[in-house]
Amino acid sequence: MNVTSKFDIIVVGAGPAGCASAYLLAKAGFKVLVLERGRGAGSKELWGGKAYAQPLREVWPELDKEAPIHRWVSKERFSLVWGERALTIEYKLGRKVAFTTYLTELVNWMARKAENAGAIIVDEVRVDEIVVKEGRVLGVKSGGDTVYADAVIDAEGVNRLLLEKLGLVEKLNPDHIALGVKEVLSLNPNLIEERFMLGKDEGLAWFVTGDVTLGLPGGGFIYTMRDSISIGLVLPIGPAAKAAEAGLLKEHVSSLVEAFRLHPYFRNLWREADVIEYGGRMTIEAGLKLMPRKLYMNGLLVVGDAAGFLVNTGYTIRGVDTAVTSGKLAAEALIEAFNNGGPTEENLKSYEEKVKKSYIYRELKNHSSIGDVMSDPFFFQKLPQVAIRAASKLFEADYEEPKLIRSFLDAAREEDVSSLKIIYKLGRVVGKL
Amino acid sequence: MSSQASRLKVIKLGELLQRSIWDVDEERHIEVLKQEGLRVKALILLCPMGCYSLAGDKLIMSYEGCVECGTCRVLSGSDQIRWEYPKSGRGIQYRYM
Amino acid sequence: MRIAVGIKWVPNTQAVRFDPETGTLIRKGIPSIVNPHDLPAIEMALRLRDAVGGEVIAFTMAPPPAVKGLELALGMGVDRAILITDRVFAGADTLATSYVLANAISKVEREYGKVDLVVFGQETIDSSTAHIPGQVASWLDWPYVYYVKDIQVLGDGRIRVVRELEDYIEEYEIELPAVLGIAVRALKPRPVSLYNKLRAKLNKDTIVVWGNSELKLDPRCVGLKGSPTIVAKTIDMPEVPRKKEVYKPRDPRDAARWIVSKIVEDEKLRELLVKKLWGG
Repeated sequence: MNVTSKFDIIVVGAGPAGCASAYLLAKAGFKVLVLERGRGAGSKELWGGKAYAQPLREVWPELDKEAPIHRWVSKERFSLVWGERALTIEYKLGRKVAFTTYLTELVNWMARKAENAGAIIVDEVRVDEIVVKEGRVLGVKSGGDTVYADAVIDAEGVNRLLLEKLGLVEKLNPDHIALGVKEVLSLNPNLIEERFMLGKDEGLAWFVTGDVTLGLPGGGFIYTMRDSISIGLVLPIGPAAKAAEAGLLKEHVSSLVEAFRLHPYFRNLWREADVIEYGGRMTIEAGLKLMPRKLYMNGLLVVGDAAGFLVNTGYTIRGVDTAVTSGKLAAEALIEAFNNGGPTEENLKSYEEKVKKSYIYRELKNHSSIGDVMSDPFFFQKLPQVAIRAASKLFEADYEEPKLIRSFLDAAREEDVSSLKIIYKLGRVVGKL
Repeated sequence: MSSQASRLKVIKLGELLQRSIWDVDEERHIEVLKQEGLRVKALILLCPMGCYSLAGDKLIMSYEGCVECGTCRVLSGSDQIRWEYPKSGRGIQYRYM
Repeated sequence: MRIAVGIKWVPNTQAVRFDPETGTLIRKGIPSIVNPHDLPAIEMALRLRDAVGGEVIAFTMAPPPAVKGLELALGMGVDRAILITDRVFAGADTLATSYVLANAISKVEREYGKVDLVVFGQETIDSSTAHIPGQVASWLDWPYVYYVKDIQVLGDGRIRVVRELEDYIEEYEIELPAVLGIAVRALKPRPVSLYNKLRAKLNKDTIVVWGNSELKLDPRCVGLKGSPTIVAKTIDMPEVPRKKEVYKPRDPRDAARWIVSKIVEDEKLRELLVKKLWGG
């Protein structure tokens, strides 16, 4: 086979979305080329730690048996921390809904599935340009080399260098995007299970809010892996940058993550653990606002993070399952298009229709107003302080314990916030969560 | 054998960077083109790997520890920072993320 | 011209950390890379081929995962690659390794034709012995020049080789075939290209694997058995925590004085030095 030979489909990026597309298309008999800039698929991946299984099973029914799953999430925890005090809620799940793993491993597995299905994966190659002529996508260019295909799937991820060049999207707005900074702490599995009260193969997902972000919008996460714990913070970039410029944020973000690791409320869970890796990535905060003007054009489909398909509910971030689902929908739309005469603009329209009918779009719409919560400092400063103060009145009473409502009203007064404002804001936020 | 001793001590950023792995390219993939108008304080504090620092008044970008996250790109104009991914699979090599 | 370039698949030593509690190096989970000092050698071979024609063959003796390293070389433009791998080759010191590599070169000549030049990186980042190129030259009985910065093909079966040493530059004219050690950072390696990478991926026969059933070497001369090197003792040097201090005086002479005070412990000597250099 000559290198200048044409492919049916070129997928840019061997991430969850790209691999799902490539796998399904290769399985359907198409000649698929996947171009990945990293060394081996997965080497550029970073996430929180948890994936929802069912959307992945729809692409890979063998997921539970074959995928590199570390632990099935059996407990979800939420904590509000302020100063020395903390308030925690825990839910014990009744079935296997989500699992924890390293995304580096999971994506590597997905890429192997695609390769075994017949896709050709070429790594260490950076795509510099999507080649367009007279409104039609012809292929991709890397350095001086151009490879042609009938259709290109853009799965380039959150940094949309190619789509920006094409003019399909604007430059990212700091208010629509967050920075995730993460540490991986290696810990003996027995200690993990003991300390988090987990059975073997059971995992915990933990969302933390309060002053771990120094009152900045955002929150912390903790996930138990097989023999490590992933912890980190997610900070919307817009407000964090403003805080840095106003002198409200004085430390480097890594110090915030270190303070989280060493926080008195959490630190004994992993006191012997060594930090084995440290890193960061950007994550989408307001998915709908990041959606390209069009998800398709003549010979092109956009999937995954590049399309803004990440759902942020305020307490969970779902990016991998939505990416995989969009990859699947793109593959289905392409197969139909090829059966109907080719991947023309008209024939690829069905992709956008499929997306709009899918849970991805419904979820994005459903949680679209979370941005208003995320950008309101009230929810990250005053509200947690009032809540913690109210709890302290209930649980730290030497003699007389106030009624629940009294503790709340007193706490609000002492924090100098009107109770009505709190009720109003909470009423609004409850509708948005 | 990992020891049971407590590791509850602050790890400075320079040491945290030692925990991750790069295959650093000789060629820089990110470059400050124009410092005027750059959000210097935000870049210094928010680049998770601390790639941005001041030498006197001059903003220095050390691309060697970059994880290609794009935060600095989002905070800057394309005339202020040239931002590309490294070539040949170089740059950050995540293992446990 | 047929040029063979030897590469080594090494742990990314930048990432190897010292565990002060156990006194050992933490190598777990460290991905391997092509020895960075081999990249200028690959680049040198490619430039020679591009200038005078012929082919470049990359070869390595390593366990199978090293195929990733050969793929990088192919991605840079190497024409074919040979993975020399066999359990009996494991545990080799430089002597046993160079013996296998030299015999592999002979097999390359039998399979593909006469080899004109064998190039290596000057040394590896994981062992830094710089033994291999010289030893391979000895086994083959070919001339060997190292610290090579530049090569010109003279056309009459000879090459002119420029070697750069600390204080002077030497030029040699040597007859081919020869073995060369390419100086560290002699050339900037080219990036991996899409076409080269794709060509390697689509043509499965660009990478061949040779074990001892192909090389047919005496098992007593290879691997651990063929390795006379004895590691008598290893001492791990504890990591010294680095301290950073910043001193920003107006007068550079104050800065000089400050630096001297940091590195010269003896007070009298220090005073003398400061006085001599900056007049007090």
